[in-house]
Amino acid sequence: MSEQPYKSLKDLPRSHALSPGTAMCAGCGGLEALHEALDVLGRKTVVVNAAGCMTLLANYPYTPFHGSWLYTSMASAPAGAQGVRDALDILRDRGRLADTDDLTAVVLTGDGSAYGMGLSATSAAIERGLDFIYLCYDNEGYGNTGQQSSAATPHAAKTSTSAGTQGYAGEKKDLFAVWAAHKPSYVATVIGADPLDLARKVQRAAALKGPRLILALAPCPTGWDFDPGDTVEIGRLAVKTGIWPLKEYADGRIVHTRVPNPRVPVEEYLTRQGRFRHLFEPERNDALIAAIQARVDRYWDDVG
Amino acid sequence: MKTAANILGDALFATGYEVQDAPRYGAERRGAPMFAYVRAADRTIVERGAIVTPDLVVVADAGLLGIPAAGVMQGASEATWLFVNSTEPAQAIRAQWRYPGQVVSWPAGFTPPAMHNAAATSASCAGAAARMLGVIARETFESALIAQSTGRSAGAIETTRSQGLAAFDAMGGVDRCVPEGGEHPATPPASPDWIELGADDAALAAPDIYAQATSEQARTGLWRSHRPVIDYEHCNRCSWVCSTLCPDSAIRVDEDRTPRIHYDHCKGCMVCVLVCPAHAIRQVSEQAAQAQEIEP
Ligand SMILES: Cc1ncc(C[n+]2csc(CCOP(=O)(O)OP(=O)(O)O)c2C)c(N)n1
Ligand code: SF4
Ligand code: SF4
Ligand code: SF4
Ligand SMILES: [Mg+2]
Repeated sequence: MSEQPYKSLKDLPRSHALSPGTAMCAGCGGLEALHEALDVLGRKTVVVNAAGCMTLLANYPYTPFHGSWLYTSMASAPAGAQGVRDALDILRDRGRLADTDDLTAVVLTGDGSAYGMGLSATSAAIERGLDFIYLCYDNEGYGNTGQQSSAATPHAAKTSTSAGTQGYAGEKKDLFAVWAAHKPSYVATVIGADPLDLARKVQRAAALKGPRLILALAPCPTGWDFDPGDTVEIGRLAVKTGIWPLKEYADGRIVHTRVPNPRVPVEEYLTRQGRFRHLFEPERNDALIAAIQARVDRYWDDVG
Repeated sequence: MKTAANILGDALFATGYEVQDAPRYGAERRGAPMFAYVRAADRTIVERGAIVTPDLVVVADAGLLGIPAAGVMQGASEATWLFVNSTEPAQAIRAQWRYPGQVVSWPAGFTPPAMHNAAATSASCAGAAARMLGVIARETFESALIAQSTGRSAGAIETTRSQGLAAFDAMGGVDRCVPEGGEHPATPPASPDWIELGADDAALAAPDIYAQATSEQARTGLWRSHRPVIDYEHCNRCSWVCSTLCPDSAIRVDEDRTPRIHYDHCKGCMVCVLVCPAHAIRQVSEQAAQAQEIEP
């Protein structure tokens, strides 16, 4: 990993730590964020992966990783990471693993695990001060099983369990705030479409110890219903509309690393995705579009 | 193709047939080649699973014909009709791929004024298949098209309807060309010709699980219907935006900052085409690109 801070796109890694040939969908925004993060973290990682789309990465006999990979149930990836960390520490204590050969335990899960099923294990791991990086690719639903709604699904989105004219009735859980409330070492939101911001945050996380979260919004052509080529454009719009605030928490402080100004109307983001089509077809639902805009405006008003 | 099979299945069902229609995917997520099967009969269907001896094969992506691993011609005989979504003449396709049966080709989803998109291609493929079977009334088929686009805008419904019917009408010359298939008794399939292999030592027989980055050997390039092509005259060797944003790490950057697309792995998502600041990457039809590779 580079020790120099990333100042411009030209400083970003030129070689890739994740090899091609995976079974992820063409245009997967989660895979984009994962490879950008691993390019920065380097190859000395053990990936602990809870069930979800990404468990198809290491599809026997193939693996895109240079290091080891461990598959856990949806609720227990942080517990798996604890076992990996403990084993590495024991090896180091016994002098069987040089400090320079030490590995980073990286938990990799979707939002279904991170916001829901795995939250209890995560909370306990943070409480224990487990030294690990949690990388969540948030495609706002249970993607691998056909995009059912999860605790990360945004209000009004259509999923396979929230059809109809109003879409998902619930609210997207604020996982950044849930993590920050535990006072861990580091929490950041990122997106593959802004690789420089992502690289800086992963680099900062890598230099710290303790529980660290990198939460990536992951535009998902399959679950969100858009053309695979639009992954980056939709990611950029998520930031420009203010729907996905890019920020970090460290030393008890929250800093927004990008402040969209002026903000693009949320409609620009919504119209490009089939999961919000019912807001525009067959009739426009002005009330619901305005409600989504109002939520975003309120967030940024509160941030000040 | 899942949508096409759905439309065709609905129309056959509305006509009074017993119908099965089911997609089949591999372990991959969306984008990999996939099959969808439709079975129809005027009596109880006892068969299940994949169709082993098809009466009609519809190919939405002609680029797959040249890829043996895709298996689109599996089980086809002289009696199996083949519909290919292509501007190539049917006879040329038949000769090039040595197809044993009859071939029909037509550019699906391109009837003006509609924009070409996946919904149009699906509707069109279903329309061609419906007419080639020749047992579905035009109105019944039209209702199935409209039912498929329930909840969509008037424009989207019209695209599906008009593209489906355009194909249905264009296939007038091969109306009912596909004869009803024979009986398929519910007997278990014959056991394959096994080749008995002696038990090897596990270290030899099992792939090395310690090997790194073996997914290099998985050729996801087969997924593409279009490929990105870098125009090196216009590429300004920027800060490898294409390589960073390619979700699949399929673009490597040489020492001299030149980006190289690895076509064995590129899935054809077109992210790089849309993000290149210099607009130096073009989208080219995979079929055309392959044809050029054979005879430049
Ligand atoms: C306890 C449990 N319930 C259900 C499943 C089935 N399952 C496998 S993957 C998956 C979806 C996971 O969603 P998410 O974590 O968001 O990852 P994504 O699939 O979106 O990548 C589900 C429900 C499971 N593996 N374990
Ligand atoms: S369903 Fe979405 S998150 Fe899952 S592999 Fe496909 S694009 Fe990626
Ligand atoms: S993004 Fe465009 S200009 Fe930059 S390296 Fe890639 S092809 Fe060249
Ligand atoms: S189309 Fe471009 S971005 Fe997509 S997989 Fe191929 S090289 Fe990568
Ligand atoms: Mg998910």
